[in-house]
Amino acid sequence: MNENKFGRLQMIALVIMRVMIGWHFLYEGVAKFMKPGWSAAGYLSQSKGIFSPIFEWITNNPDILAIVNQMNIWGLIAIGLGLIMGCFTRIAAVAGMLLILLYYVCNPLFVGFYYSIPMEGNYMIVNKNLVELAALFVITVTSTGQFAGLDRILHKLFCKK
Amino acid sequence: MTEEKKEPKKSSSKPAGKTLDRRDFLQGLATAPVLGLFGYALKKEIDYQKAQKAAALGTPAVVPEQAELNVALLGAGAQGEVLLNAMLKIPNIRFRAVCDIWTEYNLKKAVNLLKKYKFEVNGYQDYQEMLAKEQGLDAVIIATPDFWHARHTIDCLKAGVNVYCEKEMSNTLEGARSMVLAARETGKLLQIGHQRRSHPRYKHAYEKIIKEAKMMGRMVTVNGQWNRSAAPDLGYPARYAIPADILKKYGFKSMEQFRNWRWYKGLGGGPIVDLGSHQIDIYNWFLDARPKTVMASGGTDYYDKATHEWYDTVMAIYEYETPDGIARAYYKTQTTNGSQGYFENFMGDQGTMVISESEALYSGLMYHETSAPPWDEWVRLGYVSAPKVIMPGEKPEVVLDVRETVSPDEHKIPVVLNDPYHKPHLENFFNAIRGTEKLNCPPEIGYETAVTVLKVNDAIEARRTLNFDPREFEI
Repeated sequence: MNENKFGRLQMIALVIMRVMIGWHFLYEGVAKFMKPGWSAAGYLSQSKGIFSPIFEWITNNPDILAIVNQMNIWGLIAIGLGLIMGCFTRIAAVAGMLLILLYYVCNPLFVGFYYSIPMEGNYMIVNKNLVELAALFVITVTSTGQFAGLDRILHKLFCKK
Repeated sequence: MTEEKKEPKKSSSKPAGKTLDRRDFLQGLATAPVLGLFGYALKKEIDYQKAQKAAALGTPAVVPEQAELNVALLGAGAQGEVLLNAMLKIPNIRFRAVCDIWTEYNLKKAVNLLKKYKFEVNGYQDYQEMLAKEQGLDAVIIATPDFWHARHTIDCLKAGVNVYCEKEMSNTLEGARSMVLAARETGKLLQIGHQRRSHPRYKHAYEKIIKEAKMMGRMVTVNGQWNRSAAPDLGYPARYAIPADILKKYGFKSMEQFRNWRWYKGLGGGPIVDLGSHQIDIYNWFLDARPKTVMASGGTDYYDKATHEWYDTVMAIYEYETPDGIARAYYKTQTTNGSQGYFENFMGDQGTMVISESEALYSGLMYHETSAPPWDEWVRLGYVSAPKVIMPGEKPEVVLDVRETVSPDEHKIPVVLNDPYHKPHLENFFNAIRGTEKLNCPPEIGYETAVTVLKVNDAIEARRTLNFDPREFEI
């Protein structure tokens, strides 16, 4: 493991970042779960850019949409728990990156694109989604789960060195 | 990595594979308490949302065993139809009769509607005949022209029936006064149709925001309006015209006058009474006071004066002596432009409340004065929603003068009525008959409002400030 390249304080900083991203994912999932009738339809339907036909297709198929909604909710919750607990950290981080990438390609922030769901703050191409994606990239390539997280225990139990 | 930190790492991983030491457990579970923290925060959040929702719904309606009430409708015109449609959504009401002098049109329409809902109703032209023939009526709903209210109400009360009478209570103060006395004499219930008095948003605004939380501080000014677009006179299908002798018997000169009675002196009171009295009633209620003086300007500026004796445009200013001091209140109604609709705007030294019966426009907003104590507690209790901060930066092209006061935070009054506007007031009346509630607008309140509003027309004519004698409001 390349963990030892980082000092203790550096690892703690990375764990804090991981836990906070996990918290954010977890609550995004839980909040959608608690909102009766929540659906991604609004977000998907205002999709722009080259992938927009795919997202429109999802919006227009209630059955598919229902599956996508459930996958989104439980995906967010699972990724959130994984990141907080440091459990299958790398898988959770990569899954999180993919999910965020999906959000971004659905509503890309290219110059001249505008959306009816308002965003707080001011963004040009890079938004908070991309920043979170980059942070997850850092989590993916550092073994914070083995520093502080269930991965440390799992690793000890199941990996033969 | 320093040497000394490398050491323990090595020693702990050296046994290799399967052994776990204490350090592994501690670090493996180091982030688990975060989940506990998350759970705690989530519980707080859920409780907060529940409180907000509970406040929005108001007190849950308890539906006890309700006696069925026998009801008749007297006056089945436009307003009668509004009330009828609201009543059809109220359970345990049995419609027995409808009375209207326009038998070929209003009466038929109402009877047919009720038959569609499986009510066996009798239609009458003469209300005396209805009162004589229909035994066992619990309530009559009166929605006739204002100049008939006093006679209709008094005769119904004397026949032993409870009455819901549309506002304006009467077009004359003598009429309104005799109605109060008749209710007292007969001991029957009389509800006046100022339906905002039963509206959950208005009740919330008064009981919670103004009285309990005192979020307004001292109220200093009020303004309100009802703007309505220009509209042609109401017509009628010629083949359904009421015969001249019937019209004359009921006090109308012509079919045109019958259809547009609100504009005629001696019959109605004009827009200030039709529209304004709903809202000026709220001024009295929310300010906890009666006005001391009124000045007003108005006239028939737009329509034909021959057919619009009452004023199409009215602006009035009241001076109130509230328990906290003087408050000044402005009201405007115009029937020539409907922009910005209708609302009441109360301003106190700690907050501003914009409220309307309409769910579409200005339905309920609170603005926090920056110098006032924070409203966090009231947000937490769900009395108002969390604020939306109005940023000056939202209009970047505007250069703000440094002396300009910062815009106050905007909160919503989170109470929505998903029913016809008149339904809660009618329900209050029916439950008062059943003895489970008290009337929200007994005749004494209707009378106070009539005194307050009818004087506007006097002030316009007098062209000067008129005083109210406190004894004028008493009976």
